[in-house]
Amino acid sequence: MVHHPVEAEGLVRSFGDLTAVAGIDLTVEEGEIFGFLGPNGAGKSTTVRMLVTLLRPTAGVARVAGFDVVREPNAVRKSIGVALQDAAIDPLMTGNELLRLQAVLHGLGRKESTRRAGELLERVGLTVAGNRKVGEYSGGMRRRLDLAMALIHRPSVLFLDEPTTGLDPTSRLAVWEEVRALNDEGTTVFLTTQYLEEADELAGRVAIIDGGRIVREGAPAALKAAVGDPTLRVEVDEGHFANARTVLAGFGEERPARAGRVAIGLSGGTARLAEVVRALDDAGVAVGHLEIDLPSLDDVFAEATGRRLEGAGASAT
Amino acid sequence: MTATVDRPRRMVVIEQAAILARRSVVNTWRQPAAWTPSIIFPLMMAAIYSAQFERVTELPQFPEVDSFLQFILPATILQGISFNAGEAGSALATDIETGFFDRLMASPVGRQSVLIGRLAGAAAFSALLAAVLMVIFVVFGAAPEGGLASALAIVVIAAALSLSIGGISVAVALWTGSPEATQAVFPLTFIAIFVSSAFFPTELMSGWYKTAAEANPFTFIIDPTRRLAIDGFSFADLGQALFWIAVVGVFTLGLSYRAYLARLRRS
Repeated sequence: MVHHPVEAEGLVRSFGDLTAVAGIDLTVEEGEIFGFLGPNGAGKSTTVRMLVTLLRPTAGVARVAGFDVVREPNAVRKSIGVALQDAAIDPLMTGNELLRLQAVLHGLGRKESTRRAGELLERVGLTVAGNRKVGEYSGGMRRRLDLAMALIHRPSVLFLDEPTTGLDPTSRLAVWEEVRALNDEGTTVFLTTQYLEEADELAGRVAIIDGGRIVREGAPAALKAAVGDPTLRVEVDEGHFANARTVLAGFGEERPARAGRVAIGLSGGTARLAEVVRALDDAGVAVGHLEIDLPSLDDVFAEATGRRLEGAGASAT
Repeated sequence: MTATVDRPRRMVVIEQAAILARRSVVNTWRQPAAWTPSIIFPLMMAAIYSAQFERVTELPQFPEVDSFLQFILPATILQGISFNAGEAGSALATDIETGFFDRLMASPVGRQSVLIGRLAGAAAFSALLAAVLMVIFVVFGAAPEGGLASALAIVVIAAALSLSIGGISVAVALWTGSPEATQAVFPLTFIAIFVSSAFFPTELMSGWYKTAAEANPFTFIIDPTRRLAIDGFSFADLGQALFWIAVVGVFTLGLSYRAYLARLRRS
C-alpha cells in the first residue's frame, strides 16, 4: 500500500460549541509543496496542529508519513519537521545551543548533534551569528533558525506554519529560496499561509480553507483558469456609485470589492475595456481609478467564499 | 530520509532530561533579575533579624548557638530556595504561553523527560543558590557547627526542598498555563515559612501561632536542618529533614504529575 506524506479523511476538531475544522479531506503527494491557504481563523493552524500530533481530532483520521496521528504519534513526530508560527524560541539561548537541544530531543547523540548544528547554521547562513543570543536576532534570522531546527533530523515531511508572516520582503525571499531548495532535495512541504502570493509562488497545489472547510483545491493555474473572466475594478465617488453599478452590470457579473469600488468579472475579456470606459463616460460617472486583473488566487477565494482574502486584515468586514 | 536512531531508549531519555535541565539552568542564570532577589532578600532579612534579635539567644529556653545568625542560617537558605522554587513553575508556564512547550511536544522527546528536566534544572540551580548563601554566611562568621559535612547536607536539603516546593508551582503552571497565576502561588510558601520555627524556636512561642508552627511541615524540615547548623552533622538529622521533604514531595510532585497527564490528555 502506497502512503502519501499527508492524508486526512473527514478531519474534524471542535472546541466546545465551536467547530474550528469541519470535516476536511486532504492528500499531499510525495515531493510536492502543498499550500494551505486561508484567512486568519479559517482553521489552518488547527488542522496543522492535528497533523503534527499537538491536537487530537474530534473525528476523522489522518496519516502523516504513513503513520496514524492518534495511534502512532511518536512515529509521526520522528518523521516530520515542524516550524510553528507561534512557537517561540528562548531569547537568552544561542542559535547553536538551540540547534543542539533540538538534536538531542530527536535522539541524536552529542557528537552528531554538534556536527549537525554546525552544518545547519551554515545552511541557513547563521554561522557567524550562531553563538549570539537569539534575542539579538532579526525576525528573518529567527525564522531561518526555526527552519534549521525543523530540519535537524532530516525529516521527510516539513510543516511550515506561516513561515514568512511579519517578515520584510528581503527576508521573505530568503525563506522562499530555502523552501524551494529543500523541496528540490526531495522534502515534501506542507505550507500554511495567508499570503496569496506565497502560495502562488511556491506551491504546486493549494487547498483553500474557509470556515473550517476546504472550498477549493488544485494547481494554482487550474484554479485561476476556472474562475474565468478577468476582474475589472472601478473606484468612483460616492454620488456615482449606484450609477456605476448599473452601467457595469451590463458588462459582467458583479464581484466582491472593497468599499468605494465596484468590481465585475469582465465577460469578453480585456478587449471590451474601451467599451466600458465609454459607457461610464456616457453615463456621466467620474472614474477615480480603474484597474483590470487577470484572475488571481484572490479571485479564486472570492469566487468560492464571496469575500476577499487580500487586505482582509485591514478592512472592517 | 529520516535519520535512523538506534540508540538505547533509556540513555536517550536521560540525555534529553539532562539537556532540558541544562536549558532551564542556563535560562535562569542568564536572567539575573530572576535569581538575585533569592539571594538579596533572605540576606537582608537575616541581617535585620540578627540585629533585632541578637539578645534573644540569651533567653532560658533558646537553643545553644554561637549567634542568632547561625540560628537562622538554615531558615535563610531555605527561604532563598522557596523564593526561587516558583521559578520552575513560572518558566514552564512561560514555555506554555510562548509555544516552546508545543515545540517540545511536536518532537519525539520522551514525555517524562520534559517534566524531569524542568525539575532537575530547578534543583541544580537551588543547590547553586544554597552554596552561595552558605559561603556568605561563613564569611560573616556564621559557619555551621559540623563544618563541611553539615554545609553539604544543608545544600542537599535545599535542593530536595526546591523539588518539593517546585512541584506546586509546576502543577499550577500546567493547570493554568499562566506565569502570573504561577507566581501568585509564591506568597503562600513565604507565609508558610514564617508560621514555622524558621526564625524563632517553637518552645518560645505561644497561642495559636505555636500550634500552627508546631503542625507546619516546614518546622519538621527546618528543625533537623538547624541542628545540622548549630549542633553538628548527623545522619539522623539529614535523614529526618529529607524524610519530611519527601512526604511533602510525594504530595506536590504527585500533583504536578497528575497536572501534566491532564494537560497531555487535554490536547
